[in-house]
Amino acid sequence: MGKSTVIPFGPQHPVLPEPLHLDLVVQDETVIDCLPQIGFVHRGLEKLVETRDYNQFIYVAERICGICAMGHSLGYAETVESLMGVEVPKRAEYLRVIWHELSRIHSHLLWLGLAADAFGFESMFMHCWRLRERILDIFEKTTGGRVILSVVRVGGVNRDIEDSELAAICQVLDGIKSEYKEIMDTLLTDMSVKNRTVGVGHISLEQANDLSMVGPFGRASGLGYDVRTFGKGAYGELSEFQPITDTQGDCYARVKVRCEEVLQSIGIIEELSAKIPAGDISVKVKGNPEDGARASNVLEQPRGECYYYAEGNGTKFLERMRMRTPTSQNLAGMVSALKGCDLADVNMIILTIDPCISCTER
Amino acid sequence: MGFSSDFKTIQASDVHADAVKRKEDGWRYVQILAVNKEEGINLVYSYMLDGLLENLVISGLASDHHMDSITDVFLEAFVCENEIHDLFGIAFDGLKIDFLGNFYRLSTEVPMTIISPEKLAEREKQRKLAEKKAKAEAAKAAKAEAGEEAADISGAKPGEPLIDEEMEAKLAAMPPEKAAKVRAAMEAKAKKAKGADGEVG
Repeated sequence: MGKSTVIPFGPQHPVLPEPLHLDLVVQDETVIDCLPQIGFVHRGLEKLVETRDYNQFIYVAERICGICAMGHSLGYAETVESLMGVEVPKRAEYLRVIWHELSRIHSHLLWLGLAADAFGFESMFMHCWRLRERILDIFEKTTGGRVILSVVRVGGVNRDIEDSELAAICQVLDGIKSEYKEIMDTLLTDMSVKNRTVGVGHISLEQANDLSMVGPFGRASGLGYDVRTFGKGAYGELSEFQPITDTQGDCYARVKVRCEEVLQSIGIIEELSAKIPAGDISVKVKGNPEDGARASNVLEQPRGECYYYAEGNGTKFLERMRMRTPTSQNLAGMVSALKGCDLADVNMIILTIDPCISCTER
Repeated sequence: MGFSSDFKTIQASDVHADAVKRKEDGWRYVQILAVNKEEGINLVYSYMLDGLLENLVISGLASDHHMDSITDVFLEAFVCENEIHDLFGIAFDGLKIDFLGNFYRLSTEVPMTIISPEKLAEREKQRKLAEKKAKAEAAKAAKAEAGEEAADISGAKPGEPLIDEEMEAKLAAMPPEKAAKVRAAMEAKAKKAKGADGEVG
């Protein structure tokens, strides 16, 4: 073994869309330790809850991150509804899940494009983002926004989707599905992709359990944890839901799980579009959260379980709002996956973990 | 599998032992958060098992309080513990990955313990309202007593308030000068009405 050297990785790196710094301790070409460093985009958004009332804060919550915007507004709204005992109309629950699953597809396609680019498949990157554009078009058509949707409110949703429009969305998704399958098959069977991902950055099921890992990162190691199995909201109306898992726990398994989750999300949207009940899309929320009232909630974001906490103080301003994001939970797993890997594999491991630093820092 | 969440209280000294026990029992670590309250900082430790999200609350810690780190049991808690240290000032002894106060790049020390002018104004408003309400209640009690005495002379029914409870609450929320004016006007109106009743009768 040679001398240990510390190699800085990031915060600005071609493979990272967001600033994350790693101090990689290497011996020869092997990473023997890793220290993650974040804190470059901390905006103190949770503190803003003191100056924005509980209805206004939903627009702050969805600005935590551009990729998980829909999820954050949904998680926040559900938590405040639980705090105030608000029951949301059924149709609103369905619409929320449809938009949230569309958001998951958009997030996974964005990630797949970046991953393809890192593999050296520039044309596949373009294909993935071309498909993602069609999801963004659906967002634009149904909400008016492409990234920040502002469609969820405390008590329901701001906009309805006509049944004819839902049928059109399913048609678009059907078109995406066939094209996406071609991309997925190419990616998952390509020898150069397998060479770079199979057996790389391995995390065992035991490690995933020990580190309470969440999302596709944990599911790729065989951990069957997915908040959607709790059947909250319209997820409870699905005829069947099984989290997609793999047992290999390497970079390839993580790519595979995410790829298959896109198809699963399309299936959820198709099923809910067929079942969506008629009715109101929101209820009027009166009053303020009670002094000392507390509520906690979890939501399956594209990267995994996200925790939300809200505390009232009798006024229209919340005493505290808190989000613990999936990447925050997976940082310890990332350190474990990097230990013992080749220096050349670091970028691939980080990419397949898909960290979201904006969410983590808030 | 359904979802439910629950809040329980726990002593600061029991947190580590509780984490060890939960790990043995198969609980997942979820998060740690802090809440800045007037009486000190509250910490909330969350764990999950089979869809039950349990939140353990520790109340009223001083901002320089030292907690036992649970990172020897749940390594993944290092993010929350470092964050709470940087934003709230609570120290965690035995942290496995300790950034020594450099986890976030902050221009202000422990920013989440600073009470913003908006929050301060809101708290002041709430305090004043509570004080006014208490005063109004005291005044109401005094008036009720005086009313009983006056009833003996004027013939009014004992215990009958001159101004009803709803109006008292409204008066309590008003600035004192305005409240005094409204009160005087109401009393004058009541006297006038009484006089008119007397004329008719």
